[in-house]
Amino acid sequence: MDAPGGRLKIVKDISLDLNAGQTLAIVGASGSGKTTLLGLLAGLETPTAGNIWLAGQNLGDLDEDGRARLRRARVGFVFQSFHLLPSLTALENVMLALEIGRVDKPRERALKALGQVGLEHRLNHYPRQLSGGEQQRVAIARAFAGNPAILFADEPTGNLDRKTGDAVADLLFDLNRDRSTALVLVTHDPRLAERCASVATMDDGHLQPAATTDSGAAGDSRKAAGVRGA
Amino acid sequence: MNSATLSGRLLLRQGRSGTLWMLIAGLAVATAALAAVSLFTDRVGRALERQAGEVLAADVVVSDRNPLPTEINARATELGLTTNDMITLSTVLFAEQTSALFDVKAVNDGYPLRGALKVADGLDEPDRTTDGIPAPGTAWIAPSGLRSLDIEPGATVILGERELTIQRLLTYEPDQGGGPFQLSPRLLVNLADLEGSSLLGAGSRARYRLLAAGEERAVNRFVNRTEPELSGRQRLETAGEAQAQTDEALEQARRFLAVAALTAVILAAVAVLLAAMRFSRAQRDLIAILKAFGAESNEVMHAIGLLLLWLVLLATALGGLAGVAGQYLIAQILSAQMSTPLPGMRLQPLAGSALFTLLLAAGFALPPLLSLKRVPPMRILNRSLDMPAARERIIWLVPILAALAIPVYELGDLQLALLMLGGSALLAGLLALAAWGAMLLTRRLSARASGAWRFGLAGLSRRRGASIVQITALGLGLMALLLLMVVRGELIGQWRDSLPAETPDHFMVNIQPDQYDQVRETLEEIGARQLQIRPMANAQLTGLSEKGSLKGGDEPPEGGFTGQVNVSWIDSIPPANEIVEGEFWGSGDRGQISVARRWADRVGVAVGDRMTFDSGGREFSAEITSIREVEWNSFNVNFFLLLTPEAGEFLPHQFVASFYLPPAGAQALDELARSLPNTSVLDVGALIERVFEIINQVSQAAQVVFAFTLIAGLVVLLAALEATRDQRRTEAALIRTLGADNATVRNGLLIEYAIMAAIAAALATLGAAVTGWIMADELFGFDYQPGIGLFALGFASSALLIIGAGWLGNRSVLTTPPVRILRAG
Repeated sequence: MDAPGGRLKIVKDISLDLNAGQTLAIVGASGSGKTTLLGLLAGLETPTAGNIWLAGQNLGDLDEDGRARLRRARVGFVFQSFHLLPSLTALENVMLALEIGRVDKPRERALKALGQVGLEHRLNHYPRQLSGGEQQRVAIARAFAGNPAILFADEPTGNLDRKTGDAVADLLFDLNRDRSTALVLVTHDPRLAERCASVATMDDGHLQPAATTDSGAAGDSRKAAGVRGA
Repeated sequence: MNSATLSGRLLLRQGRSGTLWMLIAGLAVATAALAAVSLFTDRVGRALERQAGEVLAADVVVSDRNPLPTEINARATELGLTTNDMITLSTVLFAEQTSALFDVKAVNDGYPLRGALKVADGLDEPDRTTDGIPAPGTAWIAPSGLRSLDIEPGATVILGERELTIQRLLTYEPDQGGGPFQLSPRLLVNLADLEGSSLLGAGSRARYRLLAAGEERAVNRFVNRTEPELSGRQRLETAGEAQAQTDEALEQARRFLAVAALTAVILAAVAVLLAAMRFSRAQRDLIAILKAFGAESNEVMHAIGLLLLWLVLLATALGGLAGVAGQYLIAQILSAQMSTPLPGMRLQPLAGSALFTLLLAAGFALPPLLSLKRVPPMRILNRSLDMPAARERIIWLVPILAALAIPVYELGDLQLALLMLGGSALLAGLLALAAWGAMLLTRRLSARASGAWRFGLAGLSRRRGASIVQITALGLGLMALLLLMVVRGELIGQWRDSLPAETPDHFMVNIQPDQYDQVRETLEEIGARQLQIRPMANAQLTGLSEKGSLKGGDEPPEGGFTGQVNVSWIDSIPPANEIVEGEFWGSGDRGQISVARRWADRVGVAVGDRMTFDSGGREFSAEITSIREVEWNSFNVNFFLLLTPEAGEFLPHQFVASFYLPPAGAQALDELARSLPNTSVLDVGALIERVFEIINQVSQAAQVVFAFTLIAGLVVLLAALEATRDQRRTEAALIRTLGADNATVRNGLLIEYAIMAAIAAALATLGAAVTGWIMADELFGFDYQPGIGLFALGFASSALLIIGAGWLGNRSVLTTPPVRILRAG
């Protein structure tokens, strides 16, 4: 990828398939390329070589705006540092994503999503007025409100204490189950990784084959809502 | 969602939480500063023009040797103008034993339409303003007229067939008349008396005038309609064509006000740039999030562009209102100090200000915002991927230049504008260079320092780019503030002082050649200084030929200078005169003439032309060999036409003296004047006082305008400090978390701000001194000497403002738990 210091090669020789409703944890040491891989899979970045299919579309065939359109229709995000806009209230943060996605009745859907994460009493609070766990719950409501086919989460519990982290993780997996949303999460937390159906390990830019965990319910490959990288 | 909806929502949502207010404030200050200054400058300019028009006692005057057609008066009345008829006539007035030549002015009730007359009951009585005119059968006389006729108030004088009682002394009339030369003493009478005096028959040398005054628009309409219809000898004068001394003062006034307005404009531009940079930085996260959630690039950029447009409109509305309110306030404060009310507000400068703000935003705010297009959505996951801001395309200079052209156009002084803008650009460059050098130095020093010094020095060099921008902005703001103090205090003071204390304040005219020695000796004895006694002849211009060929035949030239003209002769170039074309003669040269440029331009003569005069039946012919620029406000005796000395042998003449007389000599001068009854003494001290009065008002007006510019300067200072406040707070919280005590944090911040203040102050004081010196030399025509006070003030105000504002902005970091700042940051 192009970075301020020049062109960097961060991930290489990766092959990965993810089907609708599946859950995948990407683990690995800091700097191993986990977050870069997540960005590539979500179409935030394009690879210098290889192909990525997201929801049945080859990202390489799309320009940036094409990828943006695909993201707004099919993809949700949850970030380690929440990335809520400080100048918008909890409700407005959720509504903004829905408005960009051209979803009907954004206010009603945002209210419902915030209700589902238990924040109906914090609608008009600004991010600085919310605790870390509450901010992440707003981010999860924002991610799920548009009913994405796939959700990417970058260290979703990384900034939270264990108890709050567990609650946030419960929420993520509940929504994954209820809505058959595929879930790709990058994490350092082995407990969180174990809750995914499969775990892939990044090591210096290479991806070790995904291992199936005990909780590994296989996704529905027919839905073709998932992601495939090669 | 389309771009317009998105931009509207972003504006509403971000606006409510205050993120956008910084940029709005910057743009609003830009609009307000320019609007207030240009609205006010516009009004003051027109008021001064009108006041300068007091020398006409009206806004416009139409005059003729013959009675004016009644249609002109009818038109003026129809347009809603107030009018007044006036007749002036040079005639001999008789008292019981004596007689003397007088300038008689006959007026109707309502005169003067602009300004006011001042009268006194006796020579030693104080004078007072009056709004009346002499009743029929009475007259008001200039004090010198009493001497000329050797009479006292209450005496009877004979004007043609009328007997008039001298009722009062006329000490001041606004339209005293151009220059000290045609000043026979004044006699003011009622129009009915002059009309009944039988002096207005055929061959009389009366001049008929129609005075008109009123709403500016009506006056303009009257001028536009009347001017094309004027016949050969009819003349139309407007307030704008004021006499030399007033013109000069008005021109200086415009320059001072233009300096204030341009300073505000430059500061406003800097404020907008700083605010836009900060705003665009704050938008990077928003754009990355919008893109990650699927917003398309063009959609985002359209939304951001529209957002900026909403901001400009909002800022223009707010700034425009503030500007109108500001100029109203200024006008209210100043109205007590101005003798005439300010004319109403015109909308034109307001529209100019709005356009200025729009272009300024396009030039300064749009480029950093459009560079946001390059923000990669991946930034949401990895901030290190932020691309550095792109080098902006030169195309953005176009709106900036267009923006700056507006104030230049509105203020109408290109030379001054270029000087101000060039000076600012040069200073900005120097400041940036010096700041860059200082950053290198602090980086080295911080490695050797410890504790608070290390924190402070490292703070500066860590934010090298931001620090350079900040120091440059601070320096510019500070320089503007100092320049105001220089302009306000020292420049105006020194300019006033540049009129010599012993400016000639008396003229003595009609001195006969055989009285020359007596007058010179007596005047020197009674302490007259700056004494000049110059010969003067009244000659009729009978012929004008252009390098050999006849031009205009025997007809004297048309225009303001009819065939009659005063000439003088001299063997070397007199003071307050400068040759701009040709060469002045040497000793022994004969048959040459030197012409003042104003006269040459008006009559249409050039070097090489030959002029023939008739004076008292004797002909004299001379070739124009030089054109002179004359300082008419020097109060020396100046002539349009100067001849080689041998002219004195041909032309019957008299002498005119100019001199400064200390008050102690007044009595002796009076005695001299009595002993030489043919001469007239004219006291122009009142006229000089009037010039100073105008200068005073101008400097007061300038000070008020400058106060507004000062506010713009303060906003820039605060905006510059605000730009890195968040970062400073976070860093301070961080090192407190690491265990630094409050003293270390406080001292570190103070050291950082103090170094910044010192660099900015050093460069700003130097810049202000140099700019002040250039302005004084190039534009106001005197040598400016910056005082030590400027430097003291520069450093003190820099320290106070920068350290003070910086400290106030950050002191909460010491009392707020660091974790709260870190979490919020």
